[in-house]
Amino acid sequence: MAELTLEHVSYIYGERTPFEITALDDVSLTVREGSVTGIIGHTGSGKSTLVQLLNGLEKPASGRVLLDGCDIWEKPKEMQKIRFRIGLVMQYPEYQLFEETVSADISFGPRNMGLTEEEIKARVSEAAQFVGLEPETMEKSPFDLSGGQKRRVAIAGVMAMRPEVLVLDEPAAGLDPRGRDMILKGIREYGRCTGNTVVIVSHSMEDMAAYCDDIIVMAGGKVHLCGSRDAVFAHATELAKVGLDIPQITKLALLLKQRGITIPEGIYTVEAAVEALRPLF
Amino acid sequence: MKNIALGQFYPARSPIHALDARMKVILSILYIVCTFLCKNVLAFGALALSAVLLILLSRVPMRTILRAIRPILFIMLFTALINLFFTKGETLLWSQQILPFWRIDLHLEGIYSAAFMLVRIVVLILGTSIFLTYTTTPIALTDAIESLLSPLRVIHVPVHEFAMMMTIALRFIPTLSEETEKIMNAQKARGVDFSQGGLIRRAKALIPILIPLFVSAFRRADELATAMECRCYRGGKGRTKMTVSHLHFGDFTALLLVVAFGTGLILLNRYGFGFTMV
Repeated sequence: MAELTLEHVSYIYGERTPFEITALDDVSLTVREGSVTGIIGHTGSGKSTLVQLLNGLEKPASGRVLLDGCDIWEKPKEMQKIRFRIGLVMQYPEYQLFEETVSADISFGPRNMGLTEEEIKARVSEAAQFVGLEPETMEKSPFDLSGGQKRRVAIAGVMAMRPEVLVLDEPAAGLDPRGRDMILKGIREYGRCTGNTVVIVSHSMEDMAAYCDDIIVMAGGKVHLCGSRDAVFAHATELAKVGLDIPQITKLALLLKQRGITIPEGIYTVEAAVEALRPLF
Repeated sequence: MKNIALGQFYPARSPIHALDARMKVILSILYIVCTFLCKNVLAFGALALSAVLLILLSRVPMRTILRAIRPILFIMLFTALINLFFTKGETLLWSQQILPFWRIDLHLEGIYSAAFMLVRIVVLILGTSIFLTYTTTPIALTDAIESLLSPLRVIHVPVHEFAMMMTIALRFIPTLSEETEKIMNAQKARGVDFSQGGLIRRAKALIPILIPLFVSAFRRADELATAMECRCYRGGKGRTKMTVSHLHFGDFTALLLVVAFGTGLILLNRYGFGFTMV
């Protein structure tokens, strides 16, 4: 269980060169302990940079990244310990698999932590369960699996380290709807069962609406909006203005409102829409 | 990883950028020959001056140029020291008995020869980087090499295939280096530590990097081959170019200038003073 806070964090690519780009500009945010928080934004809004700052792969140009109130850059030598506490799944993580069997690959992280063999075994099977890997795949070579399965193995590899904060960059990108739901459900399950904090980065509002408690909207390297799911979707028109793809049902609600039907703005699930529209019939 | 020193093309508008890439390959070879023509102070002075002129002409900033020198600093230092103390001559400046069987002599000729070698190495690197790496895009460069080597086709050397391989290799260097960084970050997040432990532990830490990197390199190669086949690529025979380059007046002027410069160096060799290199 841990709370992750960013204080006035800025990050600049190619500082002091003609190619200088400010990727993050004075970002302050808090990820609530035990929550599933979604970070959403357009391409180039600074999401991926933010992710790399969260577990110390990059150092902010200014500002601090705090884990439970301690600056993660306080002792750079102990960064490895921080990385065990803040697990990161990068974009397209299936390209990091390298072991001979799936179970060996998942146990790579826990083994680096220096855990006992029994503990490793327990964690591997637990992580496999979260992402829905069948026991018979565990002894296969990860290179023989399908894309979706590989993705699940890679995510399990980080889950098995049981990080207090699990950060995932576009965990469902490029998967079919079934694979996407399976992975996102598994991630949510991990948060629920272990009580750990989960941060999902995505550009899909639909996924965010379905799986996150809190949502942080990034635009142009800054935090545009943040708060609980309901609070953020109450600003649906504003979201559309930033160029974010709001869920279809929210779009429908907005259109209905334009046509003069009384319906609240913050609707993001079909069920809520049904509830809101029922009085009309 | 980010400042990998390959394909350092510096975009600018300059007389050297405007030259034909084939001519630039020839010019850089001639320029290398020039550096070896110099034999005395005057000639080396002229050579150093010409390098400065080239830098100014190319409009590449000094900071970028100096980056090309940095990797060879050690070689420069080493060559200078060897030349300084191991060149025998007539004027002994300083001598020191270090061990009963080892004495260090410093001759005036040693100083000359060390300075000459330094100028030669620096100009060699600057010349080739200004003509080739800084002012020519890698693609133009491989095109130029293909065109210059095309006479070898007569004796069945697959020139086009070599050029294509080079182009592809150059094209994928940044991609693969980016990929390496990504994989390294991913494994770092899983607790690999590249900076600690002994040699064996560090070498072992590379396995989780190399295997995914190879897998992805093969995957990319496979995809690229398919993509090329889909666009009906079938080797160099009968293939036309999208941009056909022509030699212009400026290219021949540049060639003339460099040849004249070389001839000038040979003449200068006669009228020099002080130490003459053999």
